[in-house]
Amino acid sequence: MTITDPMFDLGGRSAPAPGTSPDPRRLVGPEELEQPFAADGVNGAFLADFLSAALTHERCGTHLYRSVAARTLNPMLKARYRELGRETQHHVDVLSRAIAAIGGDPSYVSRLARGVERADTGTLESTYALSGSLDPMEQEAVMLDAVLVAETVDHANWSVLAKIVNALPEGPVRSALADAVAEVEPQEDEHLAWARDTKARMTMMQVTSPTMAGAMGGMEAIAAKVRDMFSDLPGT
Amino acid sequence: MAFDPLDQPGMDLEDQFRSWSELNVDPIPERPDDQYTMTRIILMNGIEVESVMFSHQFARHVDDPTLLRALATSRRADHQQQRAVNWLLPGTLSPLETTIGYEQVAVDLTAWLARNEPDPNIRQALDFALLEDFDHLYRYADLYELMDGRHAEDITRSLTEITPGRPTEVQHRHPVDDLRAHFETHAVDPLTRMHVMTVVAGEQQTMNYYMNHGVDFVEPIARKLYLEIAEIEEQHVTHYESLLDPLDSWIAMWVMHEYNEVYLYWSFAQQETDPRIKRLWELHLEMEIGQLQAACRFLERYEGRDPRELLPPSLPEVPLTMQSNKDYVRQVLATQIDLRSDEGRYVDVSEVGKGAPSTRYQSIVNADGVPTEQVIDLTRDETGGEYRDETEGRHPVESLRAPVTA
Repeated sequence: MTITDPMFDLGGRSAPAPGTSPDPRRLVGPEELEQPFAADGVNGAFLADFLSAALTHERCGTHLYRSVAARTLNPMLKARYRELGRETQHHVDVLSRAIAAIGGDPSYVSRLARGVERADTGTLESTYALSGSLDPMEQEAVMLDAVLVAETVDHANWSVLAKIVNALPEGPVRSALADAVAEVEPQEDEHLAWARDTKARMTMMQVTSPTMAGAMGGMEAIAAKVRDMFSDLPGT
Repeated sequence: MAFDPLDQPGMDLEDQFRSWSELNVDPIPERPDDQYTMTRIILMNGIEVESVMFSHQFARHVDDPTLLRALATSRRADHQQQRAVNWLLPGTLSPLETTIGYEQVAVDLTAWLARNEPDPNIRQALDFALLEDFDHLYRYADLYELMDGRHAEDITRSLTEITPGRPTEVQHRHPVDDLRAHFETHAVDPLTRMHVMTVVAGEQQTMNYYMNHGVDFVEPIARKLYLEIAEIEEQHVTHYESLLDPLDSWIAMWVMHEYNEVYLYWSFAQQETDPRIKRLWELHLEMEIGQLQAACRFLERYEGRDPRELLPPSLPEVPLTMQSNKDYVRQVLATQIDLRSDEGRYVDVSEVGKGAPSTRYQSIVNADGVPTEQVIDLTRDETGGEYRDETEGRHPVESLRAPVTA
């Protein structure tokens, strides 16, 4: 089962930190974090925290894709957001399995993960907070920017995971993480490329079509333009 | 039986509005059959005020029209609930009598929460402030004796003892000493989250009440007493709200507010002895379920999150219960009276230095006399003694046995 909100009833756990006082029943200590990496000569506690942060970012990605897929007016974007959301959910599964396979706890939320979640929450909130003062085209641009930001971080996370794999000695930890990287990283390349290209296309479409600017038509006209965007692309 | 509000029909938001006459409820008797009916009313008033003010704050951070409309509609329903609840209090109660009711809520709510709190860090925070509100009850009860010549036990029905707690004059802290470490939103027991949200709302309402009603009096001692204790209530709001994890999104916080309101109305509907008030709790429960479901729809659509992951599978098995907690309060009095706060830590009074921020703060605010001590001195002067209602024997702390010396 894909858990995208590891709350208390779903096994949520956390580490002690300045400023927080987690429930002692749900505390994860440094020994537990380091244990899976004990033989690998790495900073196991940091690696566990980083994996938690990467997993949290993937989880937040599923939330983002569900949200923008539900609210975009454009059929092509809706279909693509749904597809990317399904793949992101799969990434959550892959990384959760890898963490569990090496003896970690996918329900552990590290301090770094909390910071990541706050940033991602802000990104997601940006997609609706000001929608009353944006026209439909601008609203689409904000949602796409949120996706681009999320995919940029995601891509960087998996790139660095690939480097971590190369730095690990042969063994079960390296093997589990290498399998995850091999499965996910190519898709992350595609996700980021799609977000960049789509932003460029959407922007250039407006640059070269003055009638799409907000000042040139009412909201309904702009919404109609948004719905019609990318309709010339194959398969749409 | 497990109660999952997401499985209940609830009431649509548009069906929740009521006429003036429906909202203008008949007040309960000045001395209700069950005093805890009054405390439930006082608490739910605070809960609804918090809900309304939270919603206003949220609305000031967004301009999405769909969200704003839903917030405004849900908020108006909450505002009507607040009036339907608060208008149950009888106008024959003086502000001071109502204040004694507020402090009884503070004591018995906090004590019950602490007794049922699974997280020892949060339990400590509750115990710490419990002894302070307990002391306020004693100070106000003595003001009641002094001004009206009446005994607060007529209001509390002796369900809550009245005797000194941690003396208010030493409760004054530098603001930084009221800040605590917060729980972690993923690892927090849902019961803990609701305990904290509930006590924040209760203390906030008490602060608001004292800030506004301290000026209802002409007697200088009354005005001074409210002025001083209102500041401790502000400290308590700071203390308790700092336990909440700021990681949650606005919409998630909205959902949590509604869920907590569902839990409280569900709790009180079960224990209410007045059939008319019980029907009101049941009506508001149905409304809150509708409000919760509306908030959950935004969680799903705007944040792509599944409310069934965010929320527990059902309400806690144990309803929040307003009841007498005398033994527990005595136990906390006996063991924690000398606790103080220093740099966010709970320490024994002997560990607080002369240069500590709160020591310096007390030297400023207490410089020209302390109204919470003056009210006891005046009562002694006027009546030949002080007022207490110690039903379970002598005070568990020897130094606080009558005559009290702070």
